[in-house]
Amino acid sequence: MRIAGDRPERVLVVWCPGWPAAGPEAGTAGDGAARGAGGGGVARGDAVPDAGHRAADFGRVVSVVEGFCPRVEMLRPGACAVGVRGPARYFGGEAALAAKIITAVAGAGFASQVGIADGLFAACLAAERARPVPGARPVPGARPVSSARPTAVRPGAVMTVAPGRTRAFLAPLPVGALGSPELTDLLPRLGIRTLGEFAALPAAEVANRFGTAGVIAYRLAHGLPPRPLAPRPPPADLSVSQEFDPPERQAEPVVFAAKALAERMHNGLAANGLACVRVQVQAVWEDGRESTRLWRHDGLLSALAVADRVRWQLADTPPPAHSPPPHPIAVKIPAPMGAKKRTTDGYPPGGRDEARSGDEGDEEVWGGGVRMLRLVPDQLVRDQGWQLGLWGDAVASDRVARAAIRVQAMLGHDAVTRPVLGGGRGPAEQVTLVPFGSVDDRMPSPGRPDTPGGPDRAGGRGGPGRPDRAGELGGPERGGLDDLGQPWPGRIPAPSPATIYPAPLPASVTDDSGATVTVSGRGVVSAPPAQMSADGAPWLVVTAWAGPWPVAERWWDPRTARRRARFQLVTEDGAAWLVAVQNGRWLIEARYD
Amino acid sequence: MPLSSRRHDEDTQPDSGRLPVLPALRELLPGGLQRGTVVAVGRWGLLGLAVAAGASAAGAWCAAVGLPQLGVVAAADAGLDPGRMLLIPDPGTHWPQVVASLLDGCELVLVRPPDRPSAQVRTRLAATLRRCGGVLVVAGGWEGAQARLLVARQEWAGIGTGHGRLRARRVQVAADGRGAAARARAQWLWLPGPDGSVGGADQVTVSAPDMRETG
Repeated sequence: MRIAGDRPERVLVVWCPGWPAAGPEAGTAGDGAARGAGGGGVARGDAVPDAGHRAADFGRVVSVVEGFCPRVEMLRPGACAVGVRGPARYFGGEAALAAKIITAVAGAGFASQVGIADGLFAACLAAERARPVPGARPVPGARPVSSARPTAVRPGAVMTVAPGRTRAFLAPLPVGALGSPELTDLLPRLGIRTLGEFAALPAAEVANRFGTAGVIAYRLAHGLPPRPLAPRPPPADLSVSQEFDPPERQAEPVVFAAKALAERMHNGLAANGLACVRVQVQAVWEDGRESTRLWRHDGLLSALAVADRVRWQLADTPPPAHSPPPHPIAVKIPAPMGAKKRTTDGYPPGGRDEARSGDEGDEEVWGGGVRMLRLVPDQLVRDQGWQLGLWGDAVASDRVARAAIRVQAMLGHDAVTRPVLGGGRGPAEQVTLVPFGSVDDRMPSPGRPDTPGGPDRAGGRGGPGRPDRAGELGGPERGGLDDLGQPWPGRIPAPSPATIYPAPLPASVTDDSGATVTVSGRGVVSAPPAQMSADGAPWLVVTAWAGPWPVAERWWDPRTARRRARFQLVTEDGAAWLVAVQNGRWLIEARYD
Repeated sequence: MPLSSRRHDEDTQPDSGRLPVLPALRELLPGGLQRGTVVAVGRWGLLGLAVAAGASAAGAWCAAVGLPQLGVVAAADAGLDPGRMLLIPDPGTHWPQVVASLLDGCELVLVRPPDRPSAQVRTRLAATLRRCGGVLVVAGGWEGAQARLLVARQEWAGIGTGHGRLRARRVQVAADGRGAAARARAQWLWLPGPDGSVGGADQVTVSAPDMRETG
């Protein structure tokens, strides 16, 4: 067996005639199929059960062949292939192997033919062109012919194409053997009737005229594998990590190490011509706690900026559950310059605050030291350089990103946000603020508005917002606009207020007699609102009003359910307000100004 | 990248010394927003967004500092591109540094100073503005502002006593300032119009433009 250069591996194909090859018309495709099934003298209607049944039957043939070679590739029901090099050595040559296989398959009750050639394509054709053996007549589905004559099968049903003779074997075959309807139709009209004539064409012209499919067929006609092997080099591990032994209890050395790590990671990426879209920062504490977060990188961040993210991540890591008291050797993370005390959302108010040293607001304390820090580049892409710059790219340009990152360094990661518009009913619900440069996977999935009840019981969303591909720098912000086109029953109609109070202001709304205006459960106003006072401000006469617009939101969730009735009020100073009454209390949600 | 910003200027604004404004504001701010200057818009409201909308629509990045109450939907309706907005709702006491940092990247910064800016802060920010060529839109008073816009009168349309809803607001905006903008002007605007956009309003017209279709 010579395995030379580009020559494909020797392949043995076992083909049991009579199975539908690959489609409804396949029974007529191979003349061998008709020979095999018809030659058995069995009525075809009986001998050809449905393909599913036959496919299952063919499993028996495959298991027989597996007795000779464990790695059997099932090509289709009726045909399977094995690499012939090893088994042929073991069983005493290709011919002997083929004879043994045919005998064994016949023993299972199936007639078979074997083709051996260089490459799968030629081996399949060889198997189909092997002469059927007169003695071996069982057809699929029939029982073994005769247990008394198991050796009646002679190795005449084998066609062996000698190594290196594949092209010669293929040359006289019609182009229809390529199995490509387009080429089968086209080539004869160009005067090319055989594979040999096709293979004689210049390769470049074939590629020009017939494209990729033509090149594949051309290689097949040459007896070559359909395409050259394109092995993918195993992706290099570009992650970088550093162990701290003993665990590092000070934050500064960790951040400093992060800068060096980031430089190493950037160098590794640059050496491979790659950039990462995101970088995963993983920190492991000595008590086993772990903090993993993805930060947007886009090839934009400097090593220092990556180190900043490590610092923020460490500072944001919640203390261990048992919240040990401040320890003399506990790690102190100095907050970045100019930072003020911030309460990070999502953490219990205990822990960090009580652990915070009292005199300086700039220090935070964790328990335990950092054992390991790892930076993993995520979503590697070819580094094409950042050619940004046409404004209007929805990608934050370098300049903007740098400015935002600088502000984040001053105030913290969450202090710089980008708005994402989404669907929503109230003015505050239509916007989600996403920290600049972060990929926050903890956001709730978008909820569709559903209206399980009547018109005033419109459904609400499960979470605070819709992070529609949140955090991507590239063009996600308008993605949420799709939702704006969707109907949100009960939505405040346009125009939208320019001032939306983050926390609604308490207000008082009274009627002419000075009694607080109320709205009944049926949405009836007790009296027209006559004057309004916002958060203790002087009373203003209401000159125009509209409402009430009742909404019952999230009534299926007792924790967040709310019923409120909204009004629009215009006061004597010309200002317009969006106010709501909920549980008898008046709130100012927004101001149109 | 410096190249890109230059490119932008040439593309969107023939006069690179100015940022474009909405057509409705062209009479109030002749020529647009002069780079390196401060525009004061009185108390916070849609007017501040309208001043920024023209440049944002033309491609400038816009940062809003100290405006947690900014209505993003209203901003988008007025013409700002939410995809090119940065919101810094709570800059704390270091807001001048925050504004200065943002001016390096964004051509427009909207700010509502949490305290009264001292003369020193104003001088420093003015220097930053001249260096970066951005425009600072201040909600509130600002001595030495290049232009000052104020809502002088306003009236809402579409709402009655117990019926209708707020549909549009007609405001009279008064403008004055220094230098080329020194002449005091006033103009009636739809702020917002029935679809949230900003347009010029005829002084004589009392009824709103056709607003029935927007219901």
